Amino acid sequence: MKLLALAIKNITRHRLRSLLTILGVAAGMFLFSAVETMQHSLETSTQSKANETTLVVYRENRFCPSTSRLPEHYGSTIERIPGVKEVIPIQIAVNNCGASLDVITFRGVPAETLKSYTADLEVLSGSFDAFAKRTDGALVGEHFAQRRGLKVGDTFEAVGVKVHVNGIIHSGSPQDNNVAYVHLPFLQQASRIGLGVVTQFNVKVESADQLESVAKAIDETFQSDQQPTRTRPEQAFFAETAKQMIELIGFTRWLGIGAVVAVLALLANAVLLVVRGRVKETAILQTLGFSRPAIGVLVAIEGIILGLTGGLLGVISSALFFHFKSFTLGNEGLTLALQASPEVHLKGLIVAFLMGLIASVFPAWKATARPLVNSLNS
Amino acid sequence: MSAFIQIRDLAKSYTKGKVTITPLEGLTLDVEKGDFLALMGPSGSGKTTLLNLVAGIDTPTSGTLQIGDHDVAKLSRAQLAKWRSKHVGYIFQLYHLVPILSAFENVELPLLLSKMSKAERREKVNSALELVGLADRAHHRPTELSGGQEQRVAIARAIVHNPELLVADEPTGDLDRESADSILALLSSLADDHGKTIVMVTHDPKAAAAAKRTLHLEKGQLVTATAV
Repeated sequence: MKLLALAIKNITRHRLRSLLTILGVAAGMFLFSAVETMQHSLETSTQSKANETTLVVYRENRFCPSTSRLPEHYGSTIERIPGVKEVIPIQIAVNNCGASLDVITFRGVPAETLKSYTADLEVLSGSFDAFAKRTDGALVGEHFAQRRGLKVGDTFEAVGVKVHVNGIIHSGSPQDNNVAYVHLPFLQQASRIGLGVVTQFNVKVESADQLESVAKAIDETFQSDQQPTRTRPEQAFFAETAKQMIELIGFTRWLGIGAVVAVLALLANAVLLVVRGRVKETAILQTLGFSRPAIGVLVAIEGIILGLTGGLLGVISSALFFHFKSFTLGNEGLTLALQASPEVHLKGLIVAFLMGLIASVFPAWKATARPLVNSLNS
Repeated sequence: MSAFIQIRDLAKSYTKGKVTITPLEGLTLDVEKGDFLALMGPSGSGKTTLLNLVAGIDTPTSGTLQIGDHDVAKLSRAQLAKWRSKHVGYIFQLYHLVPILSAFENVELPLLLSKMSKAERREKVNSALELVGLADRAHHRPTELSGGQEQRVAIARAIVHNPELLVADEPTGDLDRESADSILALLSSLADDHGKTIVMVTHDPKAAAAAKRTLHLEKGQLVTATAV
């Protein structure tokens, strides 16, 4: 604590230099946090919420919701396959199948099965009953609502579909927070796909060990049909659909590493300048009895303060940026809300702390390596 | 009873390029506790080298240097730092106060290394500042003080941890006569009334006259001793 006060006073000695260093670190850590936010959002969207007893039945050789069309009556056939517990037909309408930062997704689901489809769905405002009663009603995911500035009672139109907002919902599954749930027949008609056609079926099986056999049975049932199917566990479906997104976002990790290296170089340069400017003063402190480790700690504290302050600024800026811009990255119907999380913030601060510490090691060693008499005479 | 500082055959040499320089050679000297010793001599005579060795900021090439219970010549760099923090107060010619710290904070610096509480540190710093007559300037920064006052703060910093030994390198070299006299009176009082052993390097005969003893060095060796 005693050295901390001294280090803070030292930092205020060259205010402009310290400020510029902090701003540089903040810019680097903003980039790092932004990249980490993308990585983290992707991870939570594609991995953590995959249900291990759910299969997704899609049209064979189709990858976009607008081209996957299956007859709704397949549902009753699938229900009869041994091991199947529940079949939920889903119609999905998206405004853009390619990569986009502003994806709008409607999911048409039979109202009576919506709660079993999204078990942890919570209505934040409005009501489920109001949605159930209104044919053009919609339950809008909280991120979707925030991005579009929607509230209960509003009407909005997208993808040629006009709906009335009956509720704002929150779900433990990040995907659900980015979409608008509507009634299946309504979406089938409004999107001009027509009644009796769906995008996919979500099939719940009795137990996880039946996933493979049931998937095989479904695909074999329809292989000679006009619309053959491809059935995969939900986790595999997400991973495959998100493959391009994962590759794209995976590449950004290099940007994050670049930002960290830039922060390290900037901090090391700043701390080295500080140390070089205080050679004699450091020698005087040593003459007063400050040991080499004590001087090293003093230098390290200065580096850490610069790193942490810049890191905090960068992390906060990144959090505010993603909060107010509300980006939703989409590809082939899979949506990815880019949302800052406490884990990312903590990681950013830990990295900033470590960069401050690492950047101080060489300057701290240099500050005390010279013979004391030489430093006093410099 | 043995002397507080016992120097035997002390030598210091170093190489500069291909040349070996020996600023101090075979010096033997005793300094009693409470002595106020002035070291005089021309530039390059070895007086500052001797002062630095006595202060523990440099190490001898050969010989023994016993200060109190410590064989200083045998201490490592880390041990020397610890020893200095407890036993030595250093007074520089140009004061070398930290400009961003107040007089109080400058004096407090050596105590930051101890395990003292904040209240204990405050008490010791206030006592030191009172002793040098600057209690009312405690919260002034060095730039707000005169040269004489800055040197008083530096002396307070040197004595705040109550060391037995004070080393002073031209402590009046940058001061006007009046301020210099006042600093010398303060150093004499520290030796006489507080039992500090003081070793001072000076070029100024008037400053040397304030000491109890003056030693003249030339070419790294003791030439004459003058007792007051």
